Amino acid sequence: MMRFLTKRVLQGIFVVFVLETITFFLVRALPGNPFLAERKLPDHVLAHLNSLYGLDAGAWEQYVRYWKAILLHGDFGPSLVREGVQVSEMIAQAFPVSLLLGSVAMLLSIAVGIPAGMLAAYHRNRLPDTLLMLGAVGGICIPSFVLSPLLGISLGMHIPGLSVAGWDDSLCIVLPAIALGAVNAAYVARLTRGGMVEALTSDFVRTARAKGAGPSRILWKHALRSGLLPAVAYLGPAFAALITGSFVVETCFQVPGMGMHFVNATTDRDYFLIQGLVLCYGVLIVLANLIVDILLAWLNPHIRSAE
Amino acid sequence: MKTSNTSRGYSLWQDAARRLLRNRPAVFSGIFLLLMVAACFALPLLPCIPNPNTTDLDAIARGCSWQHLLGTDHLGRDMLARVLYGGRISLIVGFAATNVSLLLGLIYGMISGYAGGRVDAWMMRAVDVLFALPFIVLVIVFSLSIEEVCRDLTSWVVQHTGWSRDSVAPLLGLVPLFLAIGALGWLTLARIVRTQTLALREQEYVLAARSLGLGHCSILLRHIAPNLLGPVIVYTTLAVPGVMLTESTLSFIGLGVKAPNSSWGTLIKEGADRMEIAPQLLLFPSLFFCLTLLALNFLGDGLRDALDPKSAKD
Repeated sequence: MMRFLTKRVLQGIFVVFVLETITFFLVRALPGNPFLAERKLPDHVLAHLNSLYGLDAGAWEQYVRYWKAILLHGDFGPSLVREGVQVSEMIAQAFPVSLLLGSVAMLLSIAVGIPAGMLAAYHRNRLPDTLLMLGAVGGICIPSFVLSPLLGISLGMHIPGLSVAGWDDSLCIVLPAIALGAVNAAYVARLTRGGMVEALTSDFVRTARAKGAGPSRILWKHALRSGLLPAVAYLGPAFAALITGSFVVETCFQVPGMGMHFVNATTDRDYFLIQGLVLCYGVLIVLANLIVDILLAWLNPHIRSAE
Repeated sequence: MKTSNTSRGYSLWQDAARRLLRNRPAVFSGIFLLLMVAACFALPLLPCIPNPNTTDLDAIARGCSWQHLLGTDHLGRDMLARVLYGGRISLIVGFAATNVSLLLGLIYGMISGYAGGRVDAWMMRAVDVLFALPFIVLVIVFSLSIEEVCRDLTSWVVQHTGWSRDSVAPLLGLVPLFLAIGALGWLTLARIVRTQTLALREQEYVLAARSLGLGHCSILLRHIAPNLLGPVIVYTTLAVPGVMLTESTLSFIGLGVKAPNSSWGTLIKEGADRMEIAPQLLLFPSLFFCLTLLALNFLGDGLRDALDPKSAKD
């Protein structure tokens, strides 16, 4: 187990490193620069700005300097668009918001998706299954940018206490979490149903049935473990994506999270901010995949013995 | 092999077609999609559909009426015309981008699976890395960086064909968008194709072809590619809604389809901004969009069940 973990961690570090390298050179290859304004800056001002932020050096020199600053000082560099603000400050401000919102949305999609999938698998090819899966396809097909305004108009305006926009009181999380969690709940439901159906038709369940185990014992004790595998494999990367924020939902409900930064930083050519965000995202994805691998090994004896 | 004369044999495709036709939601979805495509591409040619950009100042943000079946927007433009024209753009981008990723994924996956060994391991590791990139950032970066190339392309086309810039520019303006979405959406397909190729490579008939002295290229094209068709068709149908969703999300953000074009995504965005005054502006484009996605998903599921009976057992 230790060897497996070390190997995966080293692989993860490699992936994050390559990711950051690609991003570094990609954003610099973009046409335009961070200092484009309505009125074109005089050349000498632009040159000053470039040398102030170290953007006048060669790409490789900048690249080496960037990694040095991160590894030696934990310094992600300044924001090029918002004066005097460090990238680390911006991430430290936005990340907790996205983390909270993403976690609630995640819990919501697990709490809805897994029972729905189990129920559908249990009543396979009968009415509850058809209805639930119809709902799941609906959840996948209604994009968050349709769902968010609809939620605002239908629930937000009529239920007192629910706020439609902003991030100040405790109830403001409800609507964005529903908007964010709905699609994932639908995917989780479909994957859980698929996994459970396969588990329920497998040989070990037949053996358990022959042994005289009751239907609920079979469902919870025997089938659930392997039936959850596909959903768990999906949830890891989905969680990483959720807690790094969603631009659409954050814009619709005016939540000050990470998703807005992703899009704005790219369109503004805020090089250091993009790099910081991608680094953050990459680390989270790698971590999520690692946790998923451990969970899968714990859930599935086949994988466990193969390692 | 000779089969007995009493029972007629079915080819794989006949069998699949029979299974598909028995799947009622898939058939309805297929008919619905055909109607939708016909409506978006043929209906605007009829004189009863007004130009989506002419404004009727006597009817601003009205509800449904005989003159404007789906009402009008805040500038008095006919919503039915706008939704149909928007659907045109959304469908074009959806199918074009899917074809781009189809081509890339097919080539990459086939080479990776056929080569096997170390080459395969490295190629798949590269896919893993690309998977970890934040998709939305990449699409934006990519579409921004090829925008200039496409502008050059537009002037080139205008110079060499003599078509007017106004007729060419809106369509060519979509090129960066679907190239960007397509160029980043091939990863899943590459994985699927690679797994299939890996299995097909070990088949006896491939071995036979090789021992007859066939080159790698012709083995890939004549013996492996045809057998990939099933999973590829299924994946393509399921990929189109994903691509259309990406396009709409980008348009919703304001980075996708740009004026004078409008897609379902931009219409939904406009509707969402004015939903308190005129909810029909949000409702109708959303309805068209969601129903199309729904139909594509049902058709994709039906095709999967028909072409891959093993997964349809449940």
